[in-house]
Amino acid sequence: MAKSIEDMRKSRRALASYDYDQAEVEKGYTGKTLYINISDNTIKSKNVTEQMKDIFIGGKGFGLWYLWNGVKPETRWNDPENEIVISSGPIGGITQYPGSGKSLVVTLSPLTNSVMDSNVGGFFGPYLKFSGWDALEIQGKAEKDIVIFIDGDKGKITIEEVDIDPTASHLVSEQLTELLAENEKDKKNISIVSSGSGGENTNIGILNFSFYDLRRKVARMKQAGRGGIGTVFRDKKIAALAVKFSNLSGRSNNPADPSKIAKTGVKITREINKFDDEQFRMRQIGTANLMTPMNDYDLLPVHNFKYGSHPDAAGLSSDTLRDRFTQNMPDGCWVGCALSCCKAVDNFELKTGPFKGEKVLVDGPEYENAAGLGANCGIFDANYVIEANFYCDTYGIDTISTGTIIAFAMECYENGIINKEITGGLELTFGNADAAMELIHQMGQGKGFGKIASQGVRRMKKIFAEEYDADPAFLQDIGMENKGLEYSQYQAKESLAQQGGYAMTNKGPQHDEAWLIFMDMVNNQLPTFEKKAEALHYFPMFRTWFGLQGLCKLPWNDIVPEGNAQTDSPEKIPEHVQNYVDIFNAVTGKKIDQDEMIRQSERVYNFQRIFNLRLGFGTREHDASPYRALGPVTEEEYESRSERYDKQLKEDLGIDPTEMSITDKIKEMRKYREGRYETLMDVVYERRGWTKNGIPKLEKIKELGIDFPEVVDVVKKNL
Amino acid sequence: MIEVNGKQVEWEEGITVEKLLKKMNYTFPKIVVRVDGKVIEKSDWEEHHIPDQSVVQAHHLIAGG
Repeated sequence: MAKSIEDMRKSRRALASYDYDQAEVEKGYTGKTLYINISDNTIKSKNVTEQMKDIFIGGKGFGLWYLWNGVKPETRWNDPENEIVISSGPIGGITQYPGSGKSLVVTLSPLTNSVMDSNVGGFFGPYLKFSGWDALEIQGKAEKDIVIFIDGDKGKITIEEVDIDPTASHLVSEQLTELLAENEKDKKNISIVSSGSGGENTNIGILNFSFYDLRRKVARMKQAGRGGIGTVFRDKKIAALAVKFSNLSGRSNNPADPSKIAKTGVKITREINKFDDEQFRMRQIGTANLMTPMNDYDLLPVHNFKYGSHPDAAGLSSDTLRDRFTQNMPDGCWVGCALSCCKAVDNFELKTGPFKGEKVLVDGPEYENAAGLGANCGIFDANYVIEANFYCDTYGIDTISTGTIIAFAMECYENGIINKEITGGLELTFGNADAAMELIHQMGQGKGFGKIASQGVRRMKKIFAEEYDADPAFLQDIGMENKGLEYSQYQAKESLAQQGGYAMTNKGPQHDEAWLIFMDMVNNQLPTFEKKAEALHYFPMFRTWFGLQGLCKLPWNDIVPEGNAQTDSPEKIPEHVQNYVDIFNAVTGKKIDQDEMIRQSERVYNFQRIFNLRLGFGTREHDASPYRALGPVTEEEYESRSERYDKQLKEDLGIDPTEMSITDKIKEMRKYREGRYETLMDVVYERRGWTKNGIPKLEKIKELGIDFPEVVDVVKKNL
Repeated sequence: MIEVNGKQVEWEEGITVEKLLKKMNYTFPKIVVRVDGKVIEKSDWEEHHIPDQSVVQAHHLIAGG
């Protein structure tokens, strides 16, 4: 690590530089992409075509298109031609509507070996655009650690060697912000992207995107967490990306109709101010407001997704976490976000690890962190969760995957599949916070049993079966991954629709495509396969749209407008859907309606499915679910909810369970639930315009206008 | 009996919307309640009696994190 910022400044050595005239933003686009190849230090500008804007829109759409053209079917995640593409989207960067500063990151994943996308806050994406670039496309591999600087004020790009220790992401963000800022106020004009030692030592590396908090005087971080994008970043020997842009204004995105955006923004900001305290309390607790209701409704993952609630859950309740967050702070991860859900714990004194004794700011814990690192591992201790959250972020490892991995390891330990000899002395029983914390340090630092755990659940299953003689079928049942990605933190056993929402996805079981548990399980709004399939068409398409635009999903339905209850489909929040259509039109000058909005997503969604196909995935077999997500695997699971399951056997299957052994009950239940999941796949594929094997039909891709020759070729080869 | 979200639930004399939600352990902060198709505003939950044989929808407005 550099001894001082001055030493760091002196150590800077440019390997390549590129001067450019900053393209003006016109209706949400600059029309330019910054391409950098770090193998040979090529830096160049590429034009964004009208066809790209029409079909791929921006954000994830641009990322997928560039990646498709950059890689071959045989490219693996650690090949130099793999790319990391970062793009916001046409709406990204407006400051009048909450949640409008997201970046989308796309790459080939070390976990899934297929396409990964991740949505992240922080200032990087908007500043990148206002510096002249709709997207940043990075290809190649550097020989030594490099930092890429984008100076949007001066119109200069440099690839540099800098004496900076890339292992602790919060320090990288802090130090580079300090290095580039002319004064304290200037720090808000800088955003850093970095990973950490976890990016070097695990398959679950993340990217941290910084934003400077002027009141707290610290560079805070939001995470592109899923699928090991940080692992790709560090494999390419990128220590950090830095962007500086100093002239942000409410007009930076140069929209076609600014007054429409302002009016729509004022309307929703009023709703937030009026209703948030009585609705979801996002401004007080952020997404951690879900902790208590999830436990109440038996949906909080407990003990590796065996159960949905726990008697000790109060230790991580919504209000417990609220009391740890500093209140009344402007906690938006982009300018102008009135929902302000990016909560933080200030002055938290660390008890373990390399920063033991230091007082730090911890971004979070959000719901997924508390549920995954805490409840799913049987640990209901807020101090543990806050500390684990900090270390996951600064090591640069995904909190969601980490939670699911440790929970899986704990269940294997309790079943005697692994033992202290294998774990290096760690007693990985559910609830053992000290062992879990030590495992996080080992994963982040690439030591001990952490080297096995950091490979992810799919590879752990293989290792445990091959080296420790474990039963592969049991591991398959309890290992909560699909496509190689670990499940995010919801108990889906009683919602068939959500089982599909997790596993019938493009990138794997992340809840950003569809979250249907309440609609299905509690509200009973989806009683038929057809209704479930309709929801598994509409919601994934609708939610994909956020990732094309640079938007956050939360202001869509984490605030509910007055009069929503009287609409035909309250669950869709129709007024907010129309807000998004209005904003898109007001930014771009186009005239889409709600149907075209879904079509925009459908094009990209189907393209991503075909991209998976091109890489050797994207068929029905890859949408299979571990049985733990569908139903009770073990006797203790069945017994814990025996009243519910016995009732289902009787009423849904017509079987009298009175004289049955528990083994037979589990067997019958499994046959039933797996059968229903298979039927759901048939109906969902039909609704999406896919074959029985989950491949988009030729007429579908023609209808969507994505029938480029190379796309048709991939589909034809697989039909 | 009354029907709540498609399931049969025992009717009780004097049961109000508020009491029903408590009975069902529906603690979520944003629920849209319809009794026989008519939306019952939250401010009326305490007073609104649910007649026997009613069809109640208690739709939780949540779509996850």
